[in-house]
Amino acid sequence: MDVWTYDPADAKQFAIEVMERSNQNIFACYQCRRCASGCTVGEEIGFTPDRLIRMVITGNRKAALENALVWQCVSCYTCGTRCPNNIQGGRITETLKKMSREESITPRSPTIAYFHDSFVTGCTRWGRVNEIQFMGAYEIKSIAKNLVNLHFTDVWKEIREQSLLLKALFKQRRIHLKLQTAKGRNEVRAFYKKAMQKKTKSRNVFPQR
Amino acid sequence: MDLAYYPGCSLHQSSQFYDHQTRLVFSTLGIDLKEINDWSCCGATSAGKFDDFLAVALPARNLGIAETSGYHEMVVPCSGCYSSLLMSQVRLKENPSLLSEINRDLTAKVDGSLKLLTILEVLLRATAEAGVKERVVHPLKGLKAACYYGCMTRFAYDVPVSDNVENPRGMETLVEFFGAETMDWSYKTACCGASAAINDPDTAFRLMAKIMKDALARKANCIVTTCPMCQLNLDAYQERFCNAHGIYERLPVYFITELAGLALGLPIESLNMKQHFVDVTGLINETRIADDTLTP
Repeated sequence: MDVWTYDPADAKQFAIEVMERSNQNIFACYQCRRCASGCTVGEEIGFTPDRLIRMVITGNRKAALENALVWQCVSCYTCGTRCPNNIQGGRITETLKKMSREESITPRSPTIAYFHDSFVTGCTRWGRVNEIQFMGAYEIKSIAKNLVNLHFTDVWKEIREQSLLLKALFKQRRIHLKLQTAKGRNEVRAFYKKAMQKKTKSRNVFPQR
Repeated sequence: MDLAYYPGCSLHQSSQFYDHQTRLVFSTLGIDLKEINDWSCCGATSAGKFDDFLAVALPARNLGIAETSGYHEMVVPCSGCYSSLLMSQVRLKENPSLLSEINRDLTAKVDGSLKLLTILEVLLRATAEAGVKERVVHPLKGLKAACYYGCMTRFAYDVPVSDNVENPRGMETLVEFFGAETMDWSYKTACCGASAAINDPDTAFRLMAKIMKDALARKANCIVTTCPMCQLNLDAYQERFCNAHGIYERLPVYFITELAGLALGLPIESLNMKQHFVDVTGLINETRIADDTLTP
C-alpha cells in the first residue's frame, strides 16, 4: 500500500495548479456532499467529487490523478449545478484527466481516453466528425491494447458487440459513408497544432515527478 | 423570420432525420432556417477532456461564421453542440486575451453578439404566437410523454440557461400544447452516459436503465427528447440495457420535432420516422393521432 505523507508546501502547489487550470475555487468546498448525492456515476464507482476535491486540497497527488472518478466522470455537470459554492466538479475531473495525461500516467480506464483522443484528432483533421472514421480509430486502439495484453475474450466481445451495433445502424440507415469535411479545416488544424505546442510547453513548466 | 442554424456533425450523420424534421417543422411554422456556411465540429465534451484551448477555440470558429454572416440568433438543436458553443461564448467574454488570440487565426472573427437558442426556445416562441393553436390539427391524445432533457441543455453553473436547472418545464409546456399528457418524474435531467455507451458500456447501461425504470413506473408510453445523443443511446441500446436490467417493456423514443410535426398535421411519411430502432409507428396507430377521420 502506498504511504502518503502530508507536505503543506507540496499540497498547496498542487491545489493551486488544479484551481488555476480548472478555473474553480476548490478551497470554498465545505464538504456538504450535495455534489455526491447528485453524482451520476458516484454510485457505480463508489467515489464522489467531494472526496476528489478533498484529495486535491490535501495534496494527495498520486491518488487524485489515478482516481477512477477522473476517467469515469461523464461530464454531466450535475455536481456543479448543485454546489452551493459554485464549484464545478466536472471541470476538476477534466483538468485532472489532462494533468494525468501530461504526467504520462496510464489512465484507469484506457478506453475512455482512447475515445476522446480519437474524437478530437478526427474532428480536427477533417473539420467535422466522421462517425465511421473516428469509431474505427477508437476500435483499432482499444483492440490493439487488448491484443497486446493477451485479453482475447475482450477482443472477441468488443468485435461482436460493435459489429452488431454497426449492422443495426446500417439496417436503420443511420450510417453515412460520405466523408464529412469543412472547407475551412486548415483553421481547425492550426488550432490543434497550437494546442499541442502549448501542451509541450506546459510540460516544461510542471516537470514530471 | 430568418434564423441561423447550426446542425452539428450528428445531425448530418446518424441523426439525419432529426435535421430533416427540424427543417420541415420550422418551415411549417414559418421560420426560415439558414444553415451557416462551412461550419466545423464544436468538439463536444471530448475537446474539454483533451485540451482547454481546443474546447474554446473549436466552437469559436462557428460563432465567428454566424456573426460575420450577419445573424443575431442561432438555433442549435443538438444539446452537446449547444452547451459547448455557449461555454465557448462565455469563456471568450470573460477572457479578452484568449479572444484576440483565437481571432488571430480566424477569417470570420468572433465579437460575441450572437444569441444562442435551443430548439425548445424557438418552438416555444413560435407556438406562443396567435393562431398557432388552431393549426394543431392532430392533437396527440393518448400519448403520455416522459420529457427527457438530458444533462446538456441544463448545463449551467456560471453559464446562464433559459430554463430551470433542476426542473425545466419547457418541453412539458410544448408537449401539452400539442395535446399530449406529461408527468413529473425524477430523471428528466439525468445523464444517459452519452459516449460511455461505447467506451464504458456497463456504467452507461445502468444509467439508462434507471431512466427507463422511472419512466415506466410513472406509466409513460413514450420518451421525448431533443438531444440526438440521448435519442440514439436510449433507442439503439434499449434492447440491450433492458435485457441486462430485467425490464420487459419497451418505449419509443421520439424527437420533439416528430411530435410537433404530427400535431401540426404533417404526413407521417414526410417526417421520415422509419430510422428508429424501437418501433414508433405502433403507438401512433394505436392512439390514432395521425388519423384524419378522427380530427374535428
